[in-house]
Amino acid sequence: MSKDHIIQVEGLSKQYILNRNAAEKSDTLYGNVLGAVKGLRTIGRKKETEEFWALKNVSFEVERGDRVGVIGRNGAGKSTLLKILSRITPPTKGRIEYTGRMASLLEVGTGFHGDLSGRENIYLNGSILGMSKQEIDKKFDEIVAFSEVERFLDTPVKRYSSGMYVRLAFAVAAHLEPEILIVDEVLAVGDAAFQKKCLGKMQDVSTKEGRTILFVSHNMDAVQKLCNKGLLMHKGELLQQGGIDAVISSYISNNALSNGFFEIEKNQIENLSQMGKVLSVSVLNAHNEVSGEIPTGSSWKISIRFVLEKDHDFFVIGYGFQSLFGNPINTSWSSGRPMKRGVYEAVFSNQEIFYTTGQYKIAVGLSNNNHSYFYNDTESFLTISDAGMAYETERIINKDSGLILNQLPVEIREING
Amino acid sequence: MGSFFSLKEVVRYKTLLSNLARRDFLVRYKQAFAGIIWALVKPLVSILVFGYIASKINSGESTARNFLYVASAMLLWQLFSNVFNEVSNSIVGNANLFSKVYFPKIIIPLSTILVCLVDFVISLLILIVLFIIAGEPVHWQIVLAPLFVLLTLINGFGIGLYFATINVKYRDVKFIVPVLVQFGMYVSPVIFSTAYYLERLPQWLHWLFCLNPMVGAIDGFKYCLFGGEAIYNPQTFALSVGVSFLFLFTGIKYFFKFERSFVDYI
Repeated sequence: MSKDHIIQVEGLSKQYILNRNAAEKSDTLYGNVLGAVKGLRTIGRKKETEEFWALKNVSFEVERGDRVGVIGRNGAGKSTLLKILSRITPPTKGRIEYTGRMASLLEVGTGFHGDLSGRENIYLNGSILGMSKQEIDKKFDEIVAFSEVERFLDTPVKRYSSGMYVRLAFAVAAHLEPEILIVDEVLAVGDAAFQKKCLGKMQDVSTKEGRTILFVSHNMDAVQKLCNKGLLMHKGELLQQGGIDAVISSYISNNALSNGFFEIEKNQIENLSQMGKVLSVSVLNAHNEVSGEIPTGSSWKISIRFVLEKDHDFFVIGYGFQSLFGNPINTSWSSGRPMKRGVYEAVFSNQEIFYTTGQYKIAVGLSNNNHSYFYNDTESFLTISDAGMAYETERIINKDSGLILNQLPVEIREING
Repeated sequence: MGSFFSLKEVVRYKTLLSNLARRDFLVRYKQAFAGIIWALVKPLVSILVFGYIASKINSGESTARNFLYVASAMLLWQLFSNVFNEVSNSIVGNANLFSKVYFPKIIIPLSTILVCLVDFVISLLILIVLFIIAGEPVHWQIVLAPLFVLLTLINGFGIGLYFATINVKYRDVKFIVPVLVQFGMYVSPVIFSTAYYLERLPQWLHWLFCLNPMVGAIDGFKYCLFGGEAIYNPQTFALSVGVSFLFLFTGIKYFFKFERSFVDYI
């Protein structure tokens, strides 16, 4: 029986040219003329550009009805891959073949205009995603019901809460009917209940209607629930493809190979702020050394370096601790206070609670006046290992013992009946 | 691939075309008290100023006729300059759309034409009122007038596509376009007729004057409104119209040559 390939990707590569000396390369004609004149003097010398391969020779096939999770760290090439698949940017080399209609959802609410009403935005956004007027008319009531914003349909969306905005935006996208749907990390927004609803909708679309989905997320829980196949990307290359469980577990063990120091590059809060940012996160062991693995039962610290670009009235730094699947375990934050601009280090110490072995995600966030402007939970990890267990080694500890290993004081007394 | 392949795509995305135009139109006059009246103010001011100047200098014609000539040419010129300007800025202005979703990018400049056309139709009110005031008879040729409106759109669109493409890499475009529009008005038969210009220009400059694609459009439009003598001569008219279509085809070709890599440079 011949297999039914809906997408075929062969030798896909994408190159970007980076200007090493950004100051000399200008974005205006005048600047370029000036640069060209200067360049005359440097003829024969090496050009000041650097090649960067965001994707290197990626090949894979997708069968009809597959739900493919694309996973990998930041900079692995996941988003570039989706952008090329959805024809937003052309590949430098390689080719893609697919059959049927393809729609991509790389952002919720593309083209939403704040001054237009919910109703007007449904039509605008729907048509940007490739729906015809008849299709939108037909789906309109369903979209409104899914988004739960009936009462505000004729209100400009700039007056919506961010939750309503996201719900409406996702509702439109969820009612697209392409053969292939490409989704990039859009579920990172919205509250937990709505995320669940969206995942459920995508699952329905795929299993009941046999549509093919390509899904990028850092939320392994969501990936595992939704997908049956996986692609693991690393530095532009396709490391592994196959069943989702196998791919997720290699991703997790890949991440474990860290040295306990993580540079933070991405701010996951969309409207970028110039207030400040987190530079790096380090995991310190009981001897205050940066360490990739913390023995179970040992104390540890999380040290966060950050820069404040502006003076803050009421500054709070928070850190969170999540399972790899994104379930929050603990959150701690500093008490609010005014801070001057500058570079700082905050250290959260854990001495009392002993967590079970495994990998955890570290989330860091900065806020001012209760407004959170920086958040990242994808770039730093904490590994608790069972090597050199520091206490009660005779005790058998395994996953069934639970997440927290601290023993509660127990008293046993005899009751005289 | 190329322009003909995507013509089919444009048809498939016609809903997007009209919705983008609708968005631009709705957003433009939101929270503006006088609303759509503003579409009349800009052409009206220009017509009053340049109509007055024309009637002072060109005293051979009646004041009403001078105003009518200026008004008809001015409305068409403003249609051109709006289309030219909007098309030039359309790609950069909508980068947030096509960097996240695929659709044929030509839809964006096409949709701006629709908005400019609505403004033009509204501003025609001025011309109608002037016709009534001047008691000017309407000629049969008026049925041909839409052809020259179309020619004006072609001019703005074709030249605009070049600038829209260049704008992706060089933002100098947003400064150059207004300068070109300002200069262009003085070398087009807006304030004075083509005949007026050519009588005063040396012979060797005539062909250069007529390479201006707006010469054909404006002269043709005036011919439709006022009859026979408006077109200077058929050769210069044909030359100008030829340039219009040359810009249209090469503009579209140029746009499609770079369209695919817009996202990487924007």
